[in-house]
Amino acid sequence: MKVIVSRSGGMAGIRLTWEVRVEEQPDPSTWTEFLNSLPWDDVTDSEATPDRFAYRIRCAPHEVVLAEPQVNGPWRDLVNRVRAANGM
Amino acid sequence: MDTPELHTRCTIVPPYLLVRLAKLDEPRFAQAAAAARASLLRDSQIRQLRGGVHPFAYSGARTLPARTPGDSDRTISDADGQERLPGRQVRAEGHPAGVDPAVNEAYDGLGATQTLFWTQFGRDSIDGNGLPMDATVHYGKQYDNAFWDGERMVFGDGDGQIFNRFTISPSVIGHELTHGVTQFTANLQYQGQPGALNESISDVFGALVEQHTKNQSTAEASWLIGEGLFTVQVEGVALRSMKAPGTAFNDDVLGKDPQPGDMAGYIETDDDNGGVHLNSGIPNRAFYLVADTLGGNAWETPGHIWYDTLIGTGLNRQSDFAAFAAATADTAARLYGIGGAAHNAVLQAWATVGVVAASSAPVPPARPAPPTPPVAPLPPE
Repeated sequence: MKVIVSRSGGMAGIRLTWEVRVEEQPDPSTWTEFLNSLPWDDVTDSEATPDRFAYRIRCAPHEVVLAEPQVNGPWRDLVNRVRAANGM
Repeated sequence: MDTPELHTRCTIVPPYLLVRLAKLDEPRFAQAAAAARASLLRDSQIRQLRGGVHPFAYSGARTLPARTPGDSDRTISDADGQERLPGRQVRAEGHPAGVDPAVNEAYDGLGATQTLFWTQFGRDSIDGNGLPMDATVHYGKQYDNAFWDGERMVFGDGDGQIFNRFTISPSVIGHELTHGVTQFTANLQYQGQPGALNESISDVFGALVEQHTKNQSTAEASWLIGEGLFTVQVEGVALRSMKAPGTAFNDDVLGKDPQPGDMAGYIETDDDNGGVHLNSGIPNRAFYLVADTLGGNAWETPGHIWYDTLIGTGLNRQSDFAAFAAATADTAARLYGIGGAAHNAVLQAWATVGVVAASSAPVPPARPAPPTPPVAPLPPE
């Protein structure tokens, strides 16, 4: 299983992508449990605001697009975990 | 500061015409422009004393009787690495500089933006009615961004590896404040082509803030947005180049600057709200081409054409590149004459970047420039 976080926009408009292969992590079962617990179907559209980041998060079969203010709670946790796994 | 003496008198020249006169930069109108500026200052005081609403006021505007129009009213706050706004107030208008460069840069950048909009376009702050300018620095931890949240400018410190602090570049500060100006005027939606125009307008006036502050002509200016924002570890000079989109950086980590400079390179994407920071390279280059053709200072004729288009009635929230091109051409013709140098420069620029067909530019002069200054339409209430 693979989870991909892509951050676009921001004032710089530079896209950065971080990727985690769950089976290659030291704690794959924790990752799987966490990914399954995310509210994938509860994401609603929000109006874009200037220069904020936009996040696209993919973990087949799920894909969500979140405006920066929506990246809270478990989504923020996910982004932080994926970035940390990539040494960011 | 001194408060000018106020005279109780009726004003017969409509304020919108005074603004139009005050903005004229042709030598033959110099005296009229100076008189109109003086009158505007005086009348604005009178209107404030009357407690009336400024003719350019938008919803949310407020009057501050003690304030002289055009003066800055800045407040800088410090988020102390949190993501909570506004943060702790650290500098108010008129207070001396401290030791924190982010605070000083934000304060100076807000002042430089107010100076450009007031002295060159007769616009008093973001809303045109002296809205206080508020900014927060040190937002978040290693936060790689700056943004306008609808009420204030917010600046991160950068991660130190790719980005320095976002206050380091005056064009970035001008860019963020201009998002506020756009919000109060054309209010272009932040998606697709209208979104790329929203971005481009912020880059245009961000660049003009920097050029005006440094007193650089079009030929002398860098036309870079965010110069100095990258750390020395990045192979790149800035975030974007208005003169040559796609050439600002080429780095192992960040890749190559993806901005197109014409419609042939237009990027269709779902990311970045439809590529608003990517396709903005096309209208950015159009503005540069107008400035390059006309020479001199870009905040004069080119800046006036873009500003009058932004505040006029030719745009709506969904305006695309073609609509913006037509609106700028109309503005140039109205302000400087059909078939005049400015009008032709605008048409040629949009043709060069592929937004309009090349056959529509340039236009031979149909008549000489009008002897009397045209009147701009009133912005929406």
